[in-house]
Amino acid sequence: MDEEEQMKETPSVQRPTPNAELSAGATTSNIKHRTSNIFWRIFDFVLAGIFIYAGALKAFDPVQFASDIDNYKLLPWPVSVALAFYLPWLEIFCALGLVFRFLYRGALSILTASIVVFTLATIAAKVRGLDITCGCFGHASQHWSFPAHLVTNLAILAALLMLSFRAPSACRRQN
Amino acid sequence: MKSSLVGQAVILAALALIPAAGEAIYFRDKISWRSAFAPSEMVTVEQARAWGENAIWVDARPDEEFARDHVPGALLLNEDRWNELVPQFLVVWSPGKKIVVYCSSLSCNASREVARRLRKETQLSDVFVLEGGWEAWMKKNR
Repeated sequence: MDEEEQMKETPSVQRPTPNAELSAGATTSNIKHRTSNIFWRIFDFVLAGIFIYAGALKAFDPVQFASDIDNYKLLPWPVSVALAFYLPWLEIFCALGLVFRFLYRGALSILTASIVVFTLATIAAKVRGLDITCGCFGHASQHWSFPAHLVTNLAILAALLMLSFRAPSACRRQN
Repeated sequence: MKSSLVGQAVILAALALIPAAGEAIYFRDKISWRSAFAPSEMVTVEQARAWGENAIWVDARPDEEFARDHVPGALLLNEDRWNELVPQFLVVWSPGKKIVVYCSSLSCNASREVARRLRKETQLSDVFVLEGGWEAWMKKNR
C-alpha cells in the first residue's frame, strides 16, 4: 500500500515528513549565512578603519594635505585648499556609513569614486614625471614608492568593489 | 535604486560639509587661500644670488642628487637624514643670514617641507624657497 492510500484509510496517521533533515539543512545554511555575514562585516570594519585613519591624519593637518594636493598640479590652489578641508571628512563620514550601515551604498559609491580618482591622479603625476608624495595617509605615506602606492589603492578599490557587488542583497536584508 | 544611491551620496556629501566648514574657520590664519606659499617666502635665483655671502643655500634633494651636483657652497639638508643633518646645518648658520632652500624643480615638494620644518622646528625666520629649484638655478648659471 502506498503512502497516499494509507493516509486516506487512516487520516489520523501523520505523513512522515523529513523534519529533522529539513531542520538540519536549515541550520547548516543558517550557519553558513551567518559566517558569511560576519566575514563581510569584518571586511566593512577593516575598510572603514583604513578610511577613518587616512581621513583623520589629513583632517589634523589640512595645510600639509593642501600642499600634497597642489603637488599633483591638476587643480588651482584655492580648490586644493577647499578639498583639503573637505575630503578627509567625506572619507570619515563614508567610513562611518560602512560601520553603522547608514547610507551604506552611498558611502561605498563615494569611496569607490574617490579611490579611482586618487589612483588616476597618481598615475597622471607619475606619467608627467612629478616627484611628489601621495598624501593619502598624511605623513605616514610620505616615503611610499609609486608601486606601493598603486598596489595599496588597487587593493582598496578591489575590496570596495567586492562590497559593492554584495551591497544590494545585504542592504535589503539589513534595511 | 539609482535615485536612492544618489540621494545617499548627496546626504553624505552634505554632512561632510559641516565639519569641513568648521575646520576651514579654525585654520583660517594658518593657510592662505590665494597661494601655496606666501610670495614673501619665495625667492628667485637672481634675488638669492644678489644676497651673496649673506645667504646660506640649502639643498633639500636626496643624497645622490646632491652628490652629483649642487649649488656651490650649498649644504645638504633633506628629510631622509633630517636629525643627522640639522645639527651640521646649525653649526654653519649665524643670525642675520638668509636661508635659501631648493629641490629639483618647480614641481618638487622637498624644499617647501624643509623650509617649513626649519621655521617650525628650529624657529628660524628668513627661510626662503627657491622658485624653480635646481632646474631654475641651472638655467641661470650654465
